[in-house]
Amino acid sequence: MSETAISVKDISKSYGSFRAVDQVSFDVYKGEIFAMLGPNGAGKSTCLRMMLDILKPDSGTISILGGKLDESRKDRIGYLPEERGLYRNVPVLEVMTYLGTLKGMTGKAAKQRAISLLERLELGDVTKKKVSELSKGMQQKVQFAVTILHEPELIIVDEPFSGLDPINTLVIKELLLEFRQKGGAVVMSTHQMFQVEEMANRLFMINRGHAALYGNVNDVRAQYALPAVVVEGSGDWNALSGVDRVEVRSDGEGTTARPGAMLYLKDGVSSHELLTEIATRPGFEIIRFEQAIPSLNDIFIRVVDGDSAA
Amino acid sequence: MKKIWIIAVHEYLGNMKRGGFLFSTFIMPLILIALIALVGYLSAQSAIGSDSDAVGYVDQAGILENAIERPENFSAYASEEEARAALDAGTVSAYFVVLPDYLRSGNVQLYNTGGGTEALNDLIGAYLVANLDIGLPEDVQVRISDPVADMSILTLDSGRIIDESNIFVVFLAPLVFVLVFMISTQASSSYVMSGVVEEKSTRVVEILVTTVRPIELLAGKILGLGALGLTQLGIWIIAIVLFITLGRNTSFLSGFSVPVDLLVTSVVYFILGYFLFASIMAGIGAVIGSEQESRQIAGLLGLPLSLPFFFILSFLTDPNGTAVTILTLFPLTAPVTVILRMGFGTVPPEQVILSIAILAATTVLAVWISARLFRWSILMYGKRPSLRQMIQAVTRNHDMQTTATGDRAG
Repeated sequence: MSETAISVKDISKSYGSFRAVDQVSFDVYKGEIFAMLGPNGAGKSTCLRMMLDILKPDSGTISILGGKLDESRKDRIGYLPEERGLYRNVPVLEVMTYLGTLKGMTGKAAKQRAISLLERLELGDVTKKKVSELSKGMQQKVQFAVTILHEPELIIVDEPFSGLDPINTLVIKELLLEFRQKGGAVVMSTHQMFQVEEMANRLFMINRGHAALYGNVNDVRAQYALPAVVVEGSGDWNALSGVDRVEVRSDGEGTTARPGAMLYLKDGVSSHELLTEIATRPGFEIIRFEQAIPSLNDIFIRVVDGDSAA
Repeated sequence: MKKIWIIAVHEYLGNMKRGGFLFSTFIMPLILIALIALVGYLSAQSAIGSDSDAVGYVDQAGILENAIERPENFSAYASEEEARAALDAGTVSAYFVVLPDYLRSGNVQLYNTGGGTEALNDLIGAYLVANLDIGLPEDVQVRISDPVADMSILTLDSGRIIDESNIFVVFLAPLVFVLVFMISTQASSSYVMSGVVEEKSTRVVEILVTTVRPIELLAGKILGLGALGLTQLGIWIIAIVLFITLGRNTSFLSGFSVPVDLLVTSVVYFILGYFLFASIMAGIGAVIGSEQESRQIAGLLGLPLSLPFFFILSFLTDPNGTAVTILTLFPLTAPVTVILRMGFGTVPPEQVILSIAILAATTVLAVWISARLFRWSILMYGKRPSLRQMIQAVTRNHDMQTTATGDRAG
């Protein structure tokens, strides 16, 4: 893996007797999108706020870009808070220039970069408008532009797509992917699991203050793979010797698959062995045959419901 | 430190562009100057009029037969009918009749076609006096025409000299300074509060606290807006000086001089008083975070500023009384009280020094408390902390609190 952007080691945080975060560790690397998942109240925001030095952990250490988040490192990170908002009665360009200079840019550089970002976001004609005159989607885009204005090395984005229409979602997504492409590290907290599947390299899920899942997105999903395959086609699935039971499904619920049948395998039978059996027996026609890998959404729900991995 | 500067400059320039600031800073003194200029112009006009307009007179008492020192525009008429005819014809704009029993009764009748007569009265009086005291020694004549050429009133408490010509300074100058002080202090410190409330309610503060330390944010705001308040004060002081200079021509402002000691005291008290009010307002703003409530509280905080006005008579009649001393030393009322009392010349220097010392100490304490409160509560939305929680936050220097803690610790 490439250089470490964030290193969190054994952090804990309690509010009174309530242990919000308990012995949590993870690393975030440059050039990746790292998803932070967890139900409301699981300790996710507390983790983000500790990473941002808004809250101090009771124990454990956090290293941001190689050390403590001091003033110079604050200039190298960008933050898109879940609670959005900008100065309302100030022109867009002025807000951006001010926040850029606070991040250590010169006024001129901040202004130029703001203009080019706004143009990129198709907001080139609103630079002189006050923030309050913009639509909600426009304000969201301006706020995202503020997050990456000073070309940070690391950005922490909390629910970056909330309140955006599909077109604006796409625009922001492109900018996030581009940011990663250039070697930036992205920590993304979101409840939109399909975005994580599509964009994130690795994920971390926290539940009741504890680390519940951590690792490569595909590995995590594979870890939750069912002892089953999803098939489309025709034939007497029950007649197969490797099949324990058959579940005819009308939709792809619980999997990324389209409608078909879910074949649960007998203990010790691999999907490869089942495929071989089908291939060697007459009367079967296969359109699709794939491992039953649950969606992140499903995994999320299973983890929260206290269902542990098999 | 650099970020404090950036914030200060931003606050200074941003708030300068506000309509309210521009209006109160420029329009109000302009209106004041325009009014004074108008008054000056009008009184100058009427003075010219009384000098040049022809005035007739009829001497029935026989004291002006060999008249001396006759004003150029005065002309004698033999009878009232002739004088009346001259008035009707417009040859004179007024005439007066010195009645036969004048020496006994002092009766003079003035006939005119309307308009001010005060300047003319003085002129007639001087003319009559000049002709009555013929034969007296010259110095006596001079004293008769101007019995009190120069009056000095010495106020025993302070030794400040109030002379007749600047009697207005005694009341007007301190009132003007106090008004200027109150408006500047209130305006700029309430900008601090509304700025904090705006950043909190719009959630900009979320970005700010991950960019600068809360204490830097607070310091930048207070310094920037303090500089703005000083700018406003400076503009007004210039306006007052202009006002006095322009106003010299008017009768009631002649002899009015700029009281330098008041200027200096006002600036010192402005700086200390502003920091005190601004830090109190910033602390409150961070805790409450609602625009409407913040305005009410700003209004409440203005009360102690105006409290000394209720005791204004005591400043003159009982300057050493307990009430006045308390008002002089209590930090929230000290600035206005001392400026008023200095104007009246009733404040002992040692009280001024003590009051400044108490004010300075309180200001330091207030800045410290509000910095801690500010840091503690700036990310807390919607829920009002109890007084106990606030006291704990100040004494124990807690973590920043966030709404997330407790109710949705996620």
